[in-house]
Amino acid sequence: MWCSYACGSSEHNISRRGFFATALGGTLGALALDPLTRPAFTHELNKQQKRVLMIWLHGGVSQLETWDPKPGTKTGGPFQAIPTSVPGIHVCELLPYTAQRMHHLALVRGLNTAEDDHGKGYYLMHTGRRQEPAMKWPHLGSVCAKLLGSSDNPLPGYILITPRGNGGVNSEDAAFLGPRYASVALSDGHAPANLDRPAALTEAADQQRHEFRIHANQRFLRSRRTAQTEAYTHSYDQAAQLMRKRDLFDISKEPPTVIDRYGRHDFGRHCLMARRLLEGGATFVKVMHTNYDTHHENFDFHIEQLGEFDRPFATLLDDLHDRGLLASTLVLVLSEFGRTPNINRNYGRDHWSRAWSIALAGCGIRGGSVSGKTNADGTAVTEGQVNGGHLFHTYLSALGFNSKKNFYIEQRPIPIADPKAAPIKEVLA
Amino acid sequence: MLPSRAFLSLRFAVTLLAVSPAVVLADAPLHQRIDQAIAAARPDFAHQAAAPASDAEFLRRIYLDLTGTIPTAAETRAFLKDPSPGKRQALLDRLLTSPEHARYFAMVLDVLLMERRRDKYVPHEQWLEYLRSSVAANKPWDQLVREILSSDGADPKTRVAAKFYLERQAEPHLLTRDISRLFLGTNLQCCQCHDHPRIDDYKQAHYYGLFAFLNRSSLVIDKKLNLAVLSEKADGEVTFQSVFDPAKKTQSTGPRLPEGPPLKEPVIEKGKEYIVASTAGGRAVPRFSRHALLGPTLARADNESFKRNIANRLWALMMGRGLVHPLDLDHSANPPSHPELLKLLADDIAARKFDMRGFLRELALSQTYQRSSELPPQFRGDKEGMEPEPTSYTVALLKPLTPEQLAWGLMQATGLTDAERQALGPNASEAALYSRLAPNVAPFVKTFGSPPGQAPEFDARLDQALFLANGPVVRGWLTPRPGNLIDRLGKLTNTDALVEELYLSVLTRWPSAEERKEAADFLAARPKDRPTALQDMAWALLASAEFRFNH
Repeated sequence: MWCSYACGSSEHNISRRGFFATALGGTLGALALDPLTRPAFTHELNKQQKRVLMIWLHGGVSQLETWDPKPGTKTGGPFQAIPTSVPGIHVCELLPYTAQRMHHLALVRGLNTAEDDHGKGYYLMHTGRRQEPAMKWPHLGSVCAKLLGSSDNPLPGYILITPRGNGGVNSEDAAFLGPRYASVALSDGHAPANLDRPAALTEAADQQRHEFRIHANQRFLRSRRTAQTEAYTHSYDQAAQLMRKRDLFDISKEPPTVIDRYGRHDFGRHCLMARRLLEGGATFVKVMHTNYDTHHENFDFHIEQLGEFDRPFATLLDDLHDRGLLASTLVLVLSEFGRTPNINRNYGRDHWSRAWSIALAGCGIRGGSVSGKTNADGTAVTEGQVNGGHLFHTYLSALGFNSKKNFYIEQRPIPIADPKAAPIKEVLA
Repeated sequence: MLPSRAFLSLRFAVTLLAVSPAVVLADAPLHQRIDQAIAAARPDFAHQAAAPASDAEFLRRIYLDLTGTIPTAAETRAFLKDPSPGKRQALLDRLLTSPEHARYFAMVLDVLLMERRRDKYVPHEQWLEYLRSSVAANKPWDQLVREILSSDGADPKTRVAAKFYLERQAEPHLLTRDISRLFLGTNLQCCQCHDHPRIDDYKQAHYYGLFAFLNRSSLVIDKKLNLAVLSEKADGEVTFQSVFDPAKKTQSTGPRLPEGPPLKEPVIEKGKEYIVASTAGGRAVPRFSRHALLGPTLARADNESFKRNIANRLWALMMGRGLVHPLDLDHSANPPSHPELLKLLADDIAARKFDMRGFLRELALSQTYQRSSELPPQFRGDKEGMEPEPTSYTVALLKPLTPEQLAWGLMQATGLTDAERQALGPNASEAALYSRLAPNVAPFVKTFGSPPGQAPEFDARLDQALFLANGPVVRGWLTPRPGNLIDRLGKLTNTDALVEELYLSVLTRWPSAEERKEAADFLAARPKDRPTALQDMAWALLASAEFRFNH
């Protein structure tokens, strides 16, 4: 039977004091963070802005061709394992650049998410929860936009760079947090919609019409100002601020040598844009690399895909590190699931979630660490088994949050992360 | 008995006299009793209450609330110039029986019932038409709900009503949650696993009592009909355990409403349980259907939650906030701001046999509805923060336009509607105009609407501001076209007449002297690009807070 653990009794580890504090704070808004934790969050924010980079390897990357190679076994495939910058840790030879940044990376090799469906795996890895009929959970990106973002920041809190498809707001991603925290997709790295002033409108005329608007507002709001009218008038200020940041979405502003370092292909360009956005104050950037769903010709496809992934990813880590941003940027390399140890008759690997791996780096992460182990042919987790809930706790902990806290929706406490799971200590700094 | 009763009622009247100058008797029209209840709740009511709404405020408000758009400049002129004292009531009665009202209220009911879920099984157009014709015929709310909860989607005559079930995949937990929220005003979601730990009134047994109406039903694609329909088994009992109960005691329940009595279920002879037995690719129809019982059991005048819920929701629609707030958390620890008023409204709507039109009319006739949204002067400026709280209803609340109101309002304000009406000529029926303009609404729903499956909530985001400021939609509507706003303004050589036309068209009121001067200065500063200056000025008013809110 499903339970959202959404009711906040003592059985759900919520203090009574927290309840009363919230009941008092409830009038401030339908949705607020636990007021007991809020000052701490704000304090941390002031001290150091934190941000998140998620690389999403769409379709399900093979753990055997990346983070947990099993060369020389029946399931291992043709590739060798190579040493990395951390003695004792080996990764697949398809990741030579990344291997040299292993001292920044942590590997979680004991992942068992028990979900082999693309849609459900996607949901699980984005929300840390399984799908439930009557409850939708917010994406990590929305949670981070809510917890890490600042209302002064005109950049969307959760930016998604996709190779193609429709741009725009995916309002469902934020679930109960509200569309403000939903992902904004930049299709093929194009700037958000309507960011450019219409061609026929001069800058001076734009200025004049806004002044007229502001005068009209002042008159109306003299006797009718509310939080909602404030939010509405403020949205135009934010729009203007984002228009001034237009160049962040334009990688042609980068020197050609830099573009070359990232690679002149979609993923390279998108990684470069991610760096520009993170540098420019973005809170959460997700870059999608597609497609790893290698039911056929798994090995050829991984040569191709990882050949595209490896260098831009390593370059992005270097750039973040060189700019002093890596320590405050949590980096995640995720997928819906891994791929079967068994090699099928088409030289493919199928969907597999019982023993697979992900990689983490940056903020709050112990570089060069490994948690969990699989058996010799990679068919089962033998040590440190974790699921999507543990990952969600780990991300939040790495960012300095107490992952056992709640969101409050109309006075209902809702645990930010699955209360049945806990952070993975081995990979945390 | 007689003398004491007379004495009691006299005493009652005297008590009323003592608290308020306006004595209202129990058989007075509902709108008077509403005003009495709102006034009586505040000892300092006279000091706090805003002035009555001006004709212009009332006109814009009643148009948006009942037809989802604003009036034309011509209608506004005529109404503002009309000296007759009964003009508000006359307008109200005209709007309530207009085809525009039926069209708009169908959209309101659609958003309420479907919460912008995507269409998979029943086309949106058919569903809207079902709701529109229901509103046009003033179908009572209880009847509408019974139709929706009783349809299994197999009979072509009633199939469209099954959209409520079908688009929720007939998932019994999702349906239990949404039926409790939308029809009973009680969000029982937490009670799926245990009694609500914070809300004493919400019990796990209530949840599973509702669930038991639906747990035997499921969505199947019927091969013969080639349609998704509900199929129902003749067996399947509901048992549940509280996750907090260490003993894991299993409880069971048959179908029953929260607080309602258990329903008697007939005993069906073995072997005769099905009218149509389940087959691969076919639907099953049991001789005794629990699903069929839900509508008639729930949608009843003697179901307190049912009548409170609809009274509260219609009140919120008109007044900007539910007496119970949030709308789906009606329970004793979250009492209504005016408990007796809610009881009065709930009893009234049930007594008028769930006549929504008559009920809306009473709300709109009240002084409470017809108060200004301007804060009284004594609360302005440095007194800000001292103003009466929104639950007092002493000042009309600002309501952000819904995506639909924003779209239709902008179409009217920019004169797109006028231009289309002109282009249609003698064929400009409400239906013809609607079908020409309706496709324009989708980008507004996408940009301003709540996500599927979530109750509407106001949010002001920069992508919305960019959509209005730089996007092609509004910009296109501000391009001159015969009969539209910019076209009309461009033809006016007298600046003052132009400014009047602009304010009447966009803000449904005359411009003030200050505004006339400001607008004239704006145009005077741009003599060389007057056509674009007109667009820019019109845009500024469209993007103003005054336009964005129903005030």
